[in-house]
Amino acid sequence: MLSTVAAISLFLMAGSIVICTVRALIGPSAPDRIVALDTIGIILIGFIAILMIVQDTIAYAEVALVIAILAFIGSVAIAKFVEGGIVLDRDRH
Amino acid sequence: MKNTPIQLHVVTRIVAFIILIFSIFLFFAGHNNPGGGFIGGLMTASALVLLYLSFDLKTIKRVLPFDYAYVIGAGLLLATLTGVAGMFFGFPYLTQFFEYFQLPILGETELTTALPFDLGIYLVVVGFTLLVILTVAEDDS
Amino acid sequence: MTNLLILPILIPLLAGVILIFFKNSKMIQRVISVIASAAMTGISGYLIYAVYNNGIQTIALGDWQAPFGIVLVADLLSVSLVFLAGILGLVTLFFAYQTFSAEREANYFHTFYLFLMVGVNGSFMTGDLFNLFVFFEVMLISSFILISMGSQRYQLQESLKYVIINTVSSMFFIAAIAYIYGVTGTLNMADLSVKIAQLYEQENSGILTVIALTFLFVFGTKSAIFPLYFWLPHSYFAPPAAIAALFGGLLTKVGVYTVMRMYTLIFNNDPIVFQILLLFGGLTMFIGVLGAVAQFDFKRILSVHIVSQVGYMIMGIGIGTPLAIAGTFYFLAHNIIVKSGLFFFAGITEKITGTTHLKKMSGLLKTHPYVGWLFFITAISLAGLPPLSGFFGKFALVIAGFEAGHYFVIAVSLATGVLTLFSMMKIFMTSFWGEEKLPDPSAKERKVGKLILPVLPLVALTVILGVAAEPFFLFSLEMGEQLTDPSYYVESVLEE
Repeated sequence: MLSTVAAISLFLMAGSIVICTVRALIGPSAPDRIVALDTIGIILIGFIAILMIVQDTIAYAEVALVIAILAFIGSVAIAKFVEGGIVLDRDRH
Repeated sequence: MKNTPIQLHVVTRIVAFIILIFSIFLFFAGHNNPGGGFIGGLMTASALVLLYLSFDLKTIKRVLPFDYAYVIGAGLLLATLTGVAGMFFGFPYLTQFFEYFQLPILGETELTTALPFDLGIYLVVVGFTLLVILTVAEDDS
Repeated sequence: MTNLLILPILIPLLAGVILIFFKNSKMIQRVISVIASAAMTGISGYLIYAVYNNGIQTIALGDWQAPFGIVLVADLLSVSLVFLAGILGLVTLFFAYQTFSAEREANYFHTFYLFLMVGVNGSFMTGDLFNLFVFFEVMLISSFILISMGSQRYQLQESLKYVIINTVSSMFFIAAIAYIYGVTGTLNMADLSVKIAQLYEQENSGILTVIALTFLFVFGTKSAIFPLYFWLPHSYFAPPAAIAALFGGLLTKVGVYTVMRMYTLIFNNDPIVFQILLLFGGLTMFIGVLGAVAQFDFKRILSVHIVSQVGYMIMGIGIGTPLAIAGTFYFLAHNIIVKSGLFFFAGITEKITGTTHLKKMSGLLKTHPYVGWLFFITAISLAGLPPLSGFFGKFALVIAGFEAGHYFVIAVSLATGVLTLFSMMKIFMTSFWGEEKLPDPSAKERKVGKLILPVLPLVALTVILGVAAEPFFLFSLEMGEQLTDPSYYVESVLEE
């Protein structure tokens, strides 16, 4: 039962990654692309979590955390770029 | 100045420390499990990059007054000298030793000479990543 | 004893790391890097003595024994090359101090020079294929930085090509390593030698030839063999003379060393590879020398000549008899010394006249007679006239070629020798001989005494290797015997 559910959700998640990739590629504006990329990151975390349930292991826990951190920092950086064109400010005050 | 991103500041103050703790965990998990100096260093670097992103270069420079080139140097020196240490006892270069100790709080702990070597790698990775990112960032004017 | 083997790699590494902390003090940097280079040279000199008397020395790093761990192996070939690299490095340092601007020296020049030596020495000493790749990368990354330092437009443009070509060939290198690991399940060179010899006895050894040719492609790109040499003349023209000398003298020779190691130790039974080596060796030297004949720029002629000389060495490896290998090594040693010496002369004339174009200077012999005659000695040594070192290397190669019956390739090599003489004489006649014609009058009084000093040991070495060739040639013959019979190497690595 659990494995069936897992398989179906993995399939759905793979599908949504494909959709997000399409959005990231064609996305008419930059914010569309940022949201799409961020969503891909979050889906990947879920993907890995379900994979851990299927394989009955906690070996990939660090992988999920690392992806979460990198996706977060990436989103912040791109968002700052879209907002002002400068990623790292020299002196804000 | 312009619009100060309050939410980003608040979140960064919490999240940066969570990432730093996670990076220390990864650093010590290494050697027998996934983790180690390289990935731990990358995580620390990403925590620091987050700080640089949400604050500005000048502020962080005041908090972390390191020249990252020296951090790379210190790391390389540490890693190299760990290998040299064994040579004084007649073992080949880079021979590693490990032993189990009873420590007060941690209980039975494995102490290895691979740990200082890993710490060296950690410093090199942190220094290198930040040096590259900051050099590229200072290029726009 | 065993830990001595790591020192030629460890000393420059430690010195380079320490120098990161002293980047603002020019004097400390110079002192430490000279001491490190001298120590490295001294230790490798002692290693030659030890290996010559006690046979091949090995060290298992981290006490992980071969074939599972990484071993460093010192046989006659590798320690001699480390020794030559040390001498060349010392000389280059002294030359660089005279010619470099303070700004160029400040930007971690010493650190990356020492890291380059780490990579070069490591590539010579390692007994593990993947470790060879790692040391190659250490060497290449340092060379990327050294070649692009200074940031002139032309230099950056050429070093970008250099970076891309070398990175692509490194990718093929790692692919070839993956293939060979897939086929044999080991990466230790001695172990590979045994396993591949067994595999050749089976029916389907085609895959081994494919792997051997992939490696040839990789090392051919790095050492500039015929179809893959196009990057070299431009890249080595771009940096200043001291760095060009280091690169021209050492980096391509590391490629040649690996070809020598791979095809004497591992793929020594493959018939097709040796035919291809002979063919490409002949083509490389002939096309290289034709390129040199057409050029009219001091440094460009020298850069193109590197290609032609690599051809001789590849031909020697292709012939593959002990005498040919001895000749190849003799030629390799001669070439490391003479080629860097000539690049130094290019640097000296550039310092005097401000140009490297031959038609813009002439009659330097009248104003600077020592430079002129020392250049003359080095140039005819490169062309292979007796009694200088170039003659004996070529002579051994020609004899070995006749014994093995490769008449055509030998004829090509003799023709190449004549053309080499022609292009060297072209430099001498146009820029040193003849009417005095300098771009600006002040050049006449410009003193270059300090610049000649670092070149003197190189000129002295080529004369010694020529006049007193016998002991050195006997040494090379012993090396030839050691290399053509892989069992020496295999036994000393796997026995312990």
